[in-house]
Amino acid sequence: MESEATWFDRLVDALPNTRLFQFIAEWILVPYWAARTPVKPQPGGPRMAPQPSENLQHMMNLIMPLKDKSPIGRAKAALAIAQNVDEIYAGLNNVGTVHFARFVLVDGNLCMFSVYDGDFSNYIRDFIATIGSVFNAIVALIEDGDAVIPCEHHVEAFIDWVHARDLYQVPDLATDLLAQHNAAASGDDLRLLPRDLILQLHANPNVSLGSGYRGYPAFSVAQIRQKLGVGW
Amino acid sequence: MPDNPIAVQLVDAVLSDFPDHQPGTRPVHTIGIGVQGYFEASEVARNYTIAAHFQGQRVPVTVRFSNGTGSPVEHDGWSDVRGMATRFHLGDDVATDLIAMTLAEFFAPSVDAFLQFSRAARPARQQRESPWQKILDMLCLKQPLPDPMPGQMASGAAGMLAFANQHRFAQMAVFQAGSIGAPVSYVRAAYHAVHTFILTGPDHVRRPVRFSWEPIAGVRTTDPTAPPVDCYLHQELKDRLQRQPATFRLVMSIGEIGDAYADPTRQWPGKRCRVFMGTLTLTTVPEDQEIFCEKISFNPCRLTPGIDISDDPILQARRDAYEVSRLRRGGQSCPFAAG
Repeated sequence: MESEATWFDRLVDALPNTRLFQFIAEWILVPYWAARTPVKPQPGGPRMAPQPSENLQHMMNLIMPLKDKSPIGRAKAALAIAQNVDEIYAGLNNVGTVHFARFVLVDGNLCMFSVYDGDFSNYIRDFIATIGSVFNAIVALIEDGDAVIPCEHHVEAFIDWVHARDLYQVPDLATDLLAQHNAAASGDDLRLLPRDLILQLHANPNVSLGSGYRGYPAFSVAQIRQKLGVGW
Repeated sequence: MPDNPIAVQLVDAVLSDFPDHQPGTRPVHTIGIGVQGYFEASEVARNYTIAAHFQGQRVPVTVRFSNGTGSPVEHDGWSDVRGMATRFHLGDDVATDLIAMTLAEFFAPSVDAFLQFSRAARPARQQRESPWQKILDMLCLKQPLPDPMPGQMASGAAGMLAFANQHRFAQMAVFQAGSIGAPVSYVRAAYHAVHTFILTGPDHVRRPVRFSWEPIAGVRTTDPTAPPVDCYLHQELKDRLQRQPATFRLVMSIGEIGDAYADPTRQWPGKRCRVFMGTLTLTTVPEDQEIFCEKISFNPCRLTPGIDISDDPILQARRDAYEVSRLRRGGQSCPFAAG
């Protein structure tokens, strides 16, 4: 006969949802396993791949902690964007590879979320060329930003700075996380996948969950605008 | 062809994973229900293939939904892969099939690997993990083993897990199969054909593609914390179709150089060009399931001009394996048998 669940089984099954276990997990288990089996924070941005459509519609999720996180500091950030709307929109049109872009304030962070075609470094390089002055005004408000402005004089350092603040994109296929954490092709344990994710989130608090949905994958801004007859 | 030793080996391997399998029935996806309806291609489908069912006219179809197991006992509420085999009736006794399942990838990339996997997946006695072991797992931030379903005495889950830990190609399928759940309805699940097919367009361009069915009603599974119900999917489908038809959208992804054309264990990323190929409308559940469903012998390689198989070795092996299976259970004859 199959073993029936006892009261103890049911108690243990409910354990992960108890405040006591959640407290122990947060303050003891996660720090313990993070020290015992350290996980390297994965780099931000999309992965490189040879397929043409992999080079289109990349997601950038740039999280920039403000120096001044008060309402006044956040208002300054909002003002820096508002005062430069024309420069930003003209710059985005000039770059020509951007599907969508927007600035968002979340807590004490100024975020820039965008979808762009092509190589990341070239994307940022194009921005420096077209709206470098706006970036200088924005980055001056960001923690650790002073070292890379004016961005026109620190092009490579600025690209690295942006890349470091672009969110890590958790693999679309969950089990690819195991391969990212364990370069050896053996020694995996699927049941430890939750721990791998937890430790990556411990090292990398903000992440993008996958590379995102696309309504019209594999098409560039140029192809879409040309097909719609709105010029490019 | 029916005496192809590899095909025989494959069918025997699958059967060995289900000790209570009944001769005369399908080796896997044993319990199912047939439905009739029609398929209408989208206006863009014909740009990608010359295949007859993608030219826009209404094509009658027979669909068989099924539970994944080869056991004759119906456990609809258990977490399990579901199948959706579709036959497009093209007229003059000509037909083409599309066979899909709720897993988005297969367990093995080659016949040898599948035979190894199948050996690993043979059912072993399954018991509830002890509470102390579960606590130990939790302290290690490790997923405890799933509890057996009510009445479940044996399972291949532990063997599949051990196999996946040694073979990365199997990890995604095993991971997904372990958490796939049970659909509230056969028409509330997405089904994937997993293999690559080669489509030929009117411009003679050949494109590697993969197909998926997406339910227009949306995907929904049962509450995994509620006790599973054994028999509900067939009646739910009959009741639903009496009220109104159910519809699926056929979605096709176009592969690119560098994609795993011949490896069904790897999904293609969502960045590939996605084409809406048509709509399937299911209308009736035929009374005589034996004639209209159980005797039908589907085959993933029953194709029509405009669609060809790829170099995927699993797809190629399925052709003869399905034929061996058909002969053993006395299914309707297949056009391959003559050739």
